[in-house]
Amino acid sequence: MVRRIKELLGVEIKEERYALADDPIFGKIAKAKKPDRWVRSTCGYCGVGCGLYIGVKEGRATYTKGDPKHPVNIGTLCPKGLSEHQMLYAPNRTLTPKIRKGGRLVDVGWEEAFDYTAQKFRQIQERYGKGALAVISTGQLLTEEFYALGKLVQLGLQTTNYDGNTTLCMASAVMGYKQSFGSDGPPGSYGDIARADVVLVIGANLADNHPIIVHHLMKNRRNKKIVVIDPRRSKTSQLADIYVPIKPRTDLALLNGLAYIIWEQGWYNETFIKGYTNGWREFVGHIQNYKPGEVAYITGLDTKLLYQLAKLYATNEKSLICWTMGINQSAQGTDTVSAINNLALMTGKIGKEGSAPFSITGQCNAMGTREFGFTSAIPGYRKFESERDRQEYADLVGVPVDLVPTKRGYRYGEIIDAIDRGEIKALWVICTNPLVSFPDQNRVRRALKKLELLVVQDAFMSDTAHIADVIFAAATWGEKEGTYTNSERRCNKANKAVEPPAQSKSDFEIVLEFSGSFGVRDLLFPGWREPRDAFEEIRRISKGRLCDYSGMSYEKIEALGGIQWPCNESYPQGCARLYGEDMPFAHGDGRARFIAADWRPLEEPPSRAFPLLLNTGRTVEHFHTRTKTGQIAILDSLAPEAWIDINPRDAARLGVKNYDRITLKSPRGRVENLVVRVTNLVAPGQLFVPFHYGTQLVNTLTQSLFDPISGEPNYKQTAVQIISEKSPQGLTLEDEIAGELTMEEGSRSREKSMAKEGQKA
Amino acid sequence: MTAVESFIDYKAQTGLQCGSYSLQLPPLKEGQQYRFHFDATKCIGCHCCEVACNEQNNNPPQIKWRRVGEVEGGEFPHVLQMFLSISCNHCIDPACLKGCPTNAYIKLENGIVIHDDPACIGCQYCTWNCPYDAPIFHEERHIVTKCHMCYDRIEAGQTPACVQACPEGAIEIEVVDVERWLAEDMEKEGNAPYLIDARYTKATTRYTLPEEMPEHLEPMDRDLIRPAHRELPLVVMTLLTQVSLVGFIALFLGDLAAEFTQLPEPSFAMVSLVFALSAIGLPFSALHLGRPIKAVNAMKNLKTSWLSREAVALGAFTALMGVVTLLYYLNIDGPLRLLLEAVTAVVGIYGIYAQSMIYRIPAKPTWNRAVTTYRFFSTGYIGTQILALIATLEGNPQVANILLAISILLGSVHIYLFFESQRFYEMVGEDHEFSYQIGRAQYLLEHTFRKLFHFRKISLPLGAVVLPLFATIALNAGSFGFAFAFQLFGVVLASATEFVGRLLFYATAVKTGMPGNFFAGAQRP
Repeated sequence: MVRRIKELLGVEIKEERYALADDPIFGKIAKAKKPDRWVRSTCGYCGVGCGLYIGVKEGRATYTKGDPKHPVNIGTLCPKGLSEHQMLYAPNRTLTPKIRKGGRLVDVGWEEAFDYTAQKFRQIQERYGKGALAVISTGQLLTEEFYALGKLVQLGLQTTNYDGNTTLCMASAVMGYKQSFGSDGPPGSYGDIARADVVLVIGANLADNHPIIVHHLMKNRRNKKIVVIDPRRSKTSQLADIYVPIKPRTDLALLNGLAYIIWEQGWYNETFIKGYTNGWREFVGHIQNYKPGEVAYITGLDTKLLYQLAKLYATNEKSLICWTMGINQSAQGTDTVSAINNLALMTGKIGKEGSAPFSITGQCNAMGTREFGFTSAIPGYRKFESERDRQEYADLVGVPVDLVPTKRGYRYGEIIDAIDRGEIKALWVICTNPLVSFPDQNRVRRALKKLELLVVQDAFMSDTAHIADVIFAAATWGEKEGTYTNSERRCNKANKAVEPPAQSKSDFEIVLEFSGSFGVRDLLFPGWREPRDAFEEIRRISKGRLCDYSGMSYEKIEALGGIQWPCNESYPQGCARLYGEDMPFAHGDGRARFIAADWRPLEEPPSRAFPLLLNTGRTVEHFHTRTKTGQIAILDSLAPEAWIDINPRDAARLGVKNYDRITLKSPRGRVENLVVRVTNLVAPGQLFVPFHYGTQLVNTLTQSLFDPISGEPNYKQTAVQIISEKSPQGLTLEDEIAGELTMEEGSRSREKSMAKEGQKA
Repeated sequence: MTAVESFIDYKAQTGLQCGSYSLQLPPLKEGQQYRFHFDATKCIGCHCCEVACNEQNNNPPQIKWRRVGEVEGGEFPHVLQMFLSISCNHCIDPACLKGCPTNAYIKLENGIVIHDDPACIGCQYCTWNCPYDAPIFHEERHIVTKCHMCYDRIEAGQTPACVQACPEGAIEIEVVDVERWLAEDMEKEGNAPYLIDARYTKATTRYTLPEEMPEHLEPMDRDLIRPAHRELPLVVMTLLTQVSLVGFIALFLGDLAAEFTQLPEPSFAMVSLVFALSAIGLPFSALHLGRPIKAVNAMKNLKTSWLSREAVALGAFTALMGVVTLLYYLNIDGPLRLLLEAVTAVVGIYGIYAQSMIYRIPAKPTWNRAVTTYRFFSTGYIGTQILALIATLEGNPQVANILLAISILLGSVHIYLFFESQRFYEMVGEDHEFSYQIGRAQYLLEHTFRKLFHFRKISLPLGAVVLPLFATIALNAGSFGFAFAFQLFGVVLASATEFVGRLLFYATAVKTGMPGNFFAGAQRP
């Protein structure tokens, strides 16, 4: 009563709670949150790999602050990083292992959860074969955890049907690098972005997705030309000198076209081509089909602009191309990555300061799983197909060679197919949320219902966790130790700042202890107790490989602020870029290959029934499927739900305005209750919706269409229709489309003649 | 674990203030102050500054001292998307400081405008006055809080949180030469789209904008039009005091007239009612304070705050009325009472004038008009209506008739002012300095509050003129019953229409501020 009266009268202004205090390290900070210790670590969100300090007060994380001595972020963090400690106390933590009993998820002890799962796995594998168990992991565990998990799955559970959600984001880059250079491994580094004269940003919205890389992009700004190639006028495009509004998924045609112009104009580097590559002659033949007039028609760009881009890239000394999902998430993703590599190879813009083809990864440790995860390759970039690699690996870790698989199993999309066919009966999902992130949701949801057992290992009750039969309650960032490797191959140390909540265990412990329940611990992890044991084995098995960790140690990583592999006797401090003078390409003959790949039009182009083209992507406030950032109020309030960007012209035709609610449908389903944002940031006929939201599940609309080489889904182009109250039939774009075609026919012939003149010149 | 090094003296290798926890600023010379520089060509709208600010100051998510807004212009593909990160502009002539009735704002020698938390009573007048919406009311704390440029960090050679956190170096602390800024640079570099002209408060933030900007830029929250706070305690307080004043003036004139004419002097019932209106109304205003217990402190800043002046004048007015009421009770009349009444009336008039001046602020363009002052006085027509009703009940049709005539006169003026103020919305063209805010206010009136506005338009002429007119006719026709009915209905309808009118006055007062975000708007309640 007294308190309520005091409250009513406003007696207390809570000065103490909002006072500042002196911290010896970071200066004045909030007294109520003043840490008693700071733990140095690495951010656990995206692949940029920022160094940070976690402030811990009485066993609770209260601050995340950028490490000013870390070469990646130089003291800064993005809004997700700045509030990362809040994520640990999200109300949707899993906390205890659970088993579904009588339709309800019931808290159980670890022993019960492990024994139950191990027994079920065994039963299912005995009845249907080893391959009836599949595992889908992530890009967000620590490298040590990936390595342990990979060993357990491939050598212990002995199923090759193992893939990661990295297939949804980086697989095309992986396969593109393999095609061109003989191995995975991003050749460049952030320093190259900073030092380049020309940076082509293709299909990447760094400003929203990798804000800290923009810091490097904007260095040396006066002497640098930035080109952003994107169908959408992204935040990143606002930073560009040249914005290239390319038609959706015509990038492969554009890249082949630029190669043609570089060849035609003689801007290529003959010495480099002769010295370091194969397939040039065939490639030159191939690009004859990509003359500027044709490419201008396909891409919707001006011929002059094509020449300008080719010239910028080829004739400047330091040119770099970086990309992310706009390239990768495509049915032609792998070939498009190789087409980028082609440009680098024909101009020799690789292995030198400021020059590289450079993929930017999406998850904090997508690289770690690529290197040592045992999904698409044997750890250490070894090939399943190579008997020598298999033998070498088996010898190094002391297992019988016949345990090592001879080929890769099903990839992510194929696993879903196999579940749908009834071939796979048990699925173990680790730290990923297919119920938001996988394309063609109706199909994947239908398929998962057919499982006899769904095990979800996660720190958060994701949408997928809610339908699981068993939950392994995992620890997350800040609660465990190990390494993350970022986009530029920098291996960073992540440290444990606080104890995992309730019964949660680190993924490392879960894997080790489960391997015990499954009876393979002694074979696979003899004497292992902590992540360092895995790291020591990683050092051993990577020695002499491209991704060489042998020269690293936890202490050295911390001292140097991360180390870029390869790190060995030749590169004791790590190596800023791959394929320099002294580093041959990874194909058998040490040479890179030109890849002659053809552009194909959209498999599902806009039609009468679905006249608009939907693009999906991210927003800076959120990460992936919002299991973490959706729980952080300051981030959530800035973008609490999905929205749809519509060009004012289309909005007028549909009779919709800002904040109206519409329904979006594709041949595969519909998304209701999407709020309209009318904006010129998208072109007429195109739409954009962020994919983060389980509430407005845009992946209901996307296609089951995958890159044949990488298995990566084609997320970015979906033909859709909008239904609003005012136009229940949706949009008919017939007049518009006809008009556009005639106009383009005109410009096409004009551009063809221009191209001819260009040739003469 | 390696030893954690001290970053206070560690300068990040960026060459910028961003990323670095330590700050090197040249010492201030005479006539210089610190200020923010915001570079819109660098900002990528990542909201790091917002998050870092809240982390630094332990503020909950809804209390944002710094906010990032968004504007867009042009046609695809020639589109500019621009972000503006804004907090306090540490003005040379801060409106928050001038208006604060408790002197809770301090402009430090280094130019930083800070808020003295314990002095604040949570009246929130600064949240109206600041044309940038920098101060924000913190409900949990009962007071207003705002950006202080992390002045205690700056003093210790440490970088403010937003500056340190900005990954693109878009926010910096600079030293500005005040005279030079006012004379030349403010005009060129002190303004940004959808912000009020820097001249109003002599804001110090320097903006770097893109060299080429589309002719027409629009905030992303242009269609997110939220009503302002309804301020119920203030609706009641302003109406009651205004009605009380006009009632009291009528009584004073009646008392005066009784000296020279056959008219009876005002009754005790009339005087005590008029007094009661103010005596009840005034304390009502304390209810809108965050800290009612400190209400008296509102009188501290007579020098520059109209709020302090109002509080003192209306307090004195009410007290004096109390004395007058006592004189009536004790049946003491004569020149002394008349003199006291004259003084009381003058104090009251000043009080309501001061009250109206509270609303004459650039940050609320629909308020900032002379008509606001006029209407605050003419609203008092209800006072004479009430007195007429009492006169009728007391069997004094003659007095009632005179009072009704005055009511009709004042009511007509009031109606005229109402329609005049509506015409204002029509007359504001696109080139008007505040067309954006006024257009939004009009939208609120005509859409959000459509029904209330409609009621207002119909009930006002009825309550202010038609019913009092009917009452006079009935009185003159000798029909007491009808006269009473018309008057009673008139008073009720007039009170209702003015209540609604005042509610709309507050709820549709769209502030100047900053362009907002699509979802979060300008992040102010």
